[in-house]
Amino acid sequence: MEMNLGYADGAGPGEVKFWPVYLCFIIFGIMISFSKPEFKVTTLLLSLFLALIIGLLTVNLLIMSFNAGNAALRKNSGSFAREAVGTGMLFMIPFTVLAVLAKFGLGWDAVMPFASAAIMTAAATAGTEVMKKGAQGIKNVLIPSVLAFVLSTGWMMLTGIMP
Amino acid sequence: MNTIAPTAVPRWKTALNMIINPGEVVKNQMTKVPWPYSLMISGLSFTLFFLQTGLDLLRSGQTGVPIVILMAMLGLLYGTVGIALLAVLVWALSQAADRGLTMEWAISSFALGYSATFVYALTGLIFSLTLGWKTAVAFGVTGVLWALRPNLFTIRQMSGERTAFSIAMTTLCGAILLFGWALLGKFGA
Repeated sequence: MEMNLGYADGAGPGEVKFWPVYLCFIIFGIMISFSKPEFKVTTLLLSLFLALIIGLLTVNLLIMSFNAGNAALRKNSGSFAREAVGTGMLFMIPFTVLAVLAKFGLGWDAVMPFASAAIMTAAATAGTEVMKKGAQGIKNVLIPSVLAFVLSTGWMMLTGIMP
Repeated sequence: MNTIAPTAVPRWKTALNMIINPGEVVKNQMTKVPWPYSLMISGLSFTLFFLQTGLDLLRSGQTGVPIVILMAMLGLLYGTVGIALLAVLVWALSQAADRGLTMEWAISSFALGYSATFVYALTGLIFSLTLGWKTAVAFGVTGVLWALRPNLFTIRQMSGERTAFSIAMTTLCGAILLFGWALLGKFGA
């Protein structure tokens, strides 16, 4: 008997790569520290830590919410949520590249609007990826959008009070 | 016999849906939206965005009223001709014609994506006129960023769901728009 250990078919959890997503969060974390009036190493470290926490929360909460809301789909393919989040979150890349260009090419200090739009877009795209896999209902787009809004707002507020 | 005709979705609702659920609109509703309507949305969005840029420059004493009006006109040109050209460029590069998507569809879908920019630009203009805030970057640029999401779905549809291509094209479109705006802003100053 084949043992799938929760991964009924398709790609296993190890095959979904999240490093580009975390790299985007790290880049945002670095740029936020450069947006402060005075550059400090402690700010950089704090900002990096915060960005990684937000990144981990975004990815894992999205996977959890998709798994919880689509029990039938989970029975057929245990890794559907990871795959959808892995693909959807890749769409942070355009916003990250544009934020770098805006910061270092145009000299703008507006990193957070790019980060916020990146999370919101990527989370909603993950939702549409889940729907492409057979999930039903607008909740798969709305819940990730609300989740992304809460996390990006929290990130923005914490960035504001950072030394 | 089924005599109930399907209810037509009003165009303003389609424009709003483009902000909330662009994936669904791009897939199922874009054939019902004529391209001049979509270009009107993007044209208005960029007119208001560029008008705010001019107003910001006027407040800091860097320019006069005629230049502000000229910048608004440039915005109209940017939001209509510029967006249409960008849509045609992406349509050609993604070989969307092979998937049965016309150039008109591409222009319409691309331009309607700027509904979010319109909402942001209008809100920004209200803040600019009533409170005297500088709103071009805070509202205008944010609005353009929010338009990248529907653009992304349009590009994915045109490219046959090619993820890497969609990411590259969305980045290119965003860069062209932001750098274009920054260059035209310098012209105003």
